[in-house]
Amino acid sequence: MSRLGRFAVKGVFWRHYLDWAVINLPFYVYPVQLVFFTFFFFFFAAPARRAVVANLAVVLPGSSRAMNYLRAFRTLSNFAWTISEAAIHKIIKEEFSYEIIGAEWLEQLGAAPGAIVLTAHMGSYDLGAALFAEKFHREIRIVRAPEPDRQSAEHLSASLEQAGDGAVKVDYNTAGALLSFDLLKALRAGEIVSIQGDRVEGEMGQVTARLFGHKVQLPNGPFVLALVAQVPIYPLFIARFGFRRYAIIVHEPIRLENTGDRERDIANGVGQWCAILEETVGARWDQWFAFTPIFAR
Amino acid sequence: MSTGEFPRFYFALPRLLARFRGGSSERAETNGGEAWIASIVTYLVSYLFFAQFIPATLGLWSRALSFILLAFLVWLVWLLALFVNSLVIKLLQTCGLFRAIPIRRAQSILVAGTASAMSLQLLQGGGWSAEIAAIWLVAVAMNLAAAAILALRNGNRAHS
Repeated sequence: MSRLGRFAVKGVFWRHYLDWAVINLPFYVYPVQLVFFTFFFFFFAAPARRAVVANLAVVLPGSSRAMNYLRAFRTLSNFAWTISEAAIHKIIKEEFSYEIIGAEWLEQLGAAPGAIVLTAHMGSYDLGAALFAEKFHREIRIVRAPEPDRQSAEHLSASLEQAGDGAVKVDYNTAGALLSFDLLKALRAGEIVSIQGDRVEGEMGQVTARLFGHKVQLPNGPFVLALVAQVPIYPLFIARFGFRRYAIIVHEPIRLENTGDRERDIANGVGQWCAILEETVGARWDQWFAFTPIFAR
Repeated sequence: MSTGEFPRFYFALPRLLARFRGGSSERAETNGGEAWIASIVTYLVSYLFFAQFIPATLGLWSRALSFILLAFLVWLVWLLALFVNSLVIKLLQTCGLFRAIPIRRAQSILVAGTASAMSLQLLQGGGWSAEIAAIWLVAVAMNLAAAAILALRNGNRAHS
């Protein structure tokens, strides 16, 4: 990436700026600052803005395009708050309050001998992983889509690992089959693997599903792994509820039964996941940070 | 992270009031209400200050456009001021000053000082801008008094 590339919307400059701001700016300048940064990115991150508007048209059928632009602004504003607060947690370890929805499932996950956490680009998954590691004193491996900018990717990995005090490991799903074997081994060893299951990027294995009545491509990795390793999939989302206030939403685990018909077993799991994803995204569309078009035209 | 719901505050005045009500006067950066109010008022005072310099001779549309552009300009001015001030604080810290407090808290001296200076100027002009400026100055004065009371009562430094 060129020197100017650092300043691109997905460049590392903004992540460094955020780290600088956390150390150098009083907490009470954030609200107005973030409003203006949202305006800035609303205009300059045009592909992301258009993707959010297009996704919202499906999530909220019948909504007007003008309203969806305002909703896109709200989504970007939530994103700004979420990444800022994740940086605050990482760097200055400020207090956050949280509530747990589905506490029994979270406890079960904390004690599970190998499990997959299936989440979405929603709320603060960075903060959630750190919280999980802190609460249950367990390591968690996060599988992420690669960042387009190498420096941003390195910064993000370091941030996640720093936020989790070493208990959070980050893998990128670019390593092909090797990563799948590695993850399978980790699951069989009793580890917890977290994967974002709401969109596919690049050449990863995918499965066609229906979300909000539209065709979508979702990663099939989590379902294949769950089927092969025979571990449960816990749908888990971290939603922002207010100023430094979050909710951890955990759903009943999806268990994939191995009937011998692999396609059908996976389709069954994907169907359950889509139902949960629809319910969660429908209720919290303003925190669905899907900055690429999800739905087939 | 905390699961506690007890309200805590950053500024000295609400911390003092919380203490009178039997709550905690310990500083916390977790109160969204405080953050929004302080952020908006600080920004509003500086916006009104700079808005005075938009010539009244401009046409309606030019003035409207100037007011919109000014909103972004004030944001950039604050960004620059906070950046420069962070460098000044770092320099002072290397000289042994302000070492006990984090840079983000030391920035409050700049924010409060600058906005108060702007408010004093706005007071001269009268009108509703002066009312907002007066509210700011009273709030700053009450906070300083509350900080002094807190410092005297518990011996803690109350950086406000």
